[in-house]
Amino acid sequence: MTDTHIPAQQPETSGNKLGTIWSAFRRDPAANIVIILVLVQAACIIGGLLYPDDFRYLSGLNMKTLLRAIPQIGFIAVGVAILMIAGEFDLSVGATFTLAGLTMAAFYAAGVPVVFCVMAALAIGVAIGLVNGFLTLTFAIPSFIVTLGTMMILRGVILYASGTATMPFRPEPWFDSLLTGQIGFLQAQFLWFLGFVIAAWLLLSWHRIGNHVLSVGGNRGAANAIGVNVFKTKMFAFGAAGFMAAMSGIVSTTRVNSVSPIQGQGLELQAIAACVIGGIALTGGRGSALGVFAGATLIYTVQNVLLLIGAPGYYLDAFIGLVLVAAVIANGVMNRRG
Amino acid sequence: MPLDTNTAPLLNLRGIGKTYGRTEALSDVDLHVNQNEVLGLLGDNGAGKSTLIKILSGVVDRTTGDIEADGTPTDIRNRQDSAKLGIETIYQDIALVGPMSIWRNMYLARELCNRFGFLRRREMRDTTVDILRKGVEITGVDDPEAEVGGLSGGQMQAVAIARAVHFRSKILLLDEPTSALSVRETENVLKYMVDLREEGVSSVFVTHNLYHAFQVCDRFVVMAHGRKIADVTKADTTIEELTKLIVAH
Ligand SMILES: Nc1ncnc2c1ncn2[C@@H]1O[C@H](COP(=O)(O)OP(=O)(O)OP(=O)(O)O)[C@@H](O)[C@H]1O
Ligand SMILES: [Mg+2]
Repeated sequence: MTDTHIPAQQPETSGNKLGTIWSAFRRDPAANIVIILVLVQAACIIGGLLYPDDFRYLSGLNMKTLLRAIPQIGFIAVGVAILMIAGEFDLSVGATFTLAGLTMAAFYAAGVPVVFCVMAALAIGVAIGLVNGFLTLTFAIPSFIVTLGTMMILRGVILYASGTATMPFRPEPWFDSLLTGQIGFLQAQFLWFLGFVIAAWLLLSWHRIGNHVLSVGGNRGAANAIGVNVFKTKMFAFGAAGFMAAMSGIVSTTRVNSVSPIQGQGLELQAIAACVIGGIALTGGRGSALGVFAGATLIYTVQNVLLLIGAPGYYLDAFIGLVLVAAVIANGVMNRRG
Repeated sequence: MPLDTNTAPLLNLRGIGKTYGRTEALSDVDLHVNQNEVLGLLGDNGAGKSTLIKILSGVVDRTTGDIEADGTPTDIRNRQDSAKLGIETIYQDIALVGPMSIWRNMYLARELCNRFGFLRRREMRDTTVDILRKGVEITGVDDPEAEVGGLSGGQMQAVAIARAVHFRSKILLLDEPTSALSVRETENVLKYMVDLREEGVSSVFVTHNLYHAFQVCDRFVVMAHGRKIADVTKADTTIEELTKLIVAH
């Protein structure tokens, strides 16, 4: 029974384009989870069609909620994924998310044009990432510890700067629609998320920098010995994580028209969960943009289904945990076999 | 002076030392590599051979000593420096990235890109197939997309050799390159060193197999406990003498 025939193991018939694409897909670390995601979506859609009144998955309102929720974790997960593939972690992305939103709102309140507010917020995100990277690499401390430290420091800074008050952010309408406007049945932020996923895919699969990112996470010593600049590459990955966390903070703040200091708590672990579910190795060196997309989408689909069938809110985290453990086991089993 | 550079050694190291905390891995080693030569670097386990190789390839930072290339003072502090000098290395611990494909390993840090840094994947994949076919003729490896981590020890070593040989330019450093290879593949590698010498590429060959060393090397440097204890040409020594030197220390 274990003698399963995975198409990727069969010799590729030359000229068969579909076969080539399929075997490339099977090689993707996210292949299993994408298949699961497709099955889950199919089940939800069928359920929604069969019981449109009891299971309102396909209702306009629900679709809107779902498509709005995915990018928040999705943006962060894209950055965290690049960093994890480079072999490092960032636990401070949730705090960066909040600080970026606060920065943007505070600058805007002070009369700074919104474009500069956004640039300041992104710059803060990148700066936090680079500081994390610099400390990690210069003093050879695990990034897990360094960023745990910066997370706590940033949370302190946020509370010191803003107390517990919520800060409003009501930008001009054009800015609002650029980041969060409705486009057909999609929202702008979902398109931005897709854009970043595609950018990450181009980076990781098609670009030299992505090749270096994979190598430093896969085997740092070998990458260094072969001639990859480990410091530069990892700094890039830390910067990307900070940038994407800030991006998420900016979009979320714009969407809800305010930012509160406790916002973004727990996002760091959810982002790591999304990445792990999407097949990105905790040990680094393995992962794909497709995985981030699938992981983030699956987490929110599961949450969404639970809400629709009326599960109490405190079950949600438990179910994410369940999906996480199941995904890790599934990926592990598949990797050993394939 | 310009005349001198023709005869100056490709590489000349003086007073090389390396300490790891309290361990003195190398002390006061002089070593030169001539043009058109295969140099055997011999010595017991822990003698300091790999440390010396890694200093030459820029992976280990020396504590003391000076380096000259073609008669002019130079420095090797990282892999980029050694690449500029035309040094290519096959490391004892192989140095491949397990989760990456063969072609990505083959071209790592030397990717063929367009001017925006995007990879010319098809070209690299196709060339990798060629390199694998011609090179050391690795058995059972023909898919450039195969993950290196799934190869056998010998196949990995063959990939590392194929990469170094493909990108060789002036000096090839081989740190026990044949430890996992079959007899036939080992013979291929030995023959390579001789062929490359004819092409003008010098090699530094680290091995515990004195018969292999004697088969291809023009000169031998013997190390013991981090020091150089002998530097003799092939004409001036025998396998027996080299064996005695290595065992005695
Ligand atoms: N990273 C390191 N940290 C501490 N000590 C080291 C390190 N690398 C090498 N050494 C020490 O330096 C000495 C020389 O090691 P080296 O690897 O150069 O020996 P070698 O001649 O290559 O041996 P072998 O034939 O076993 O490969 C040894 O005593 C070793 O323990
Ligand atoms: Mg050694």
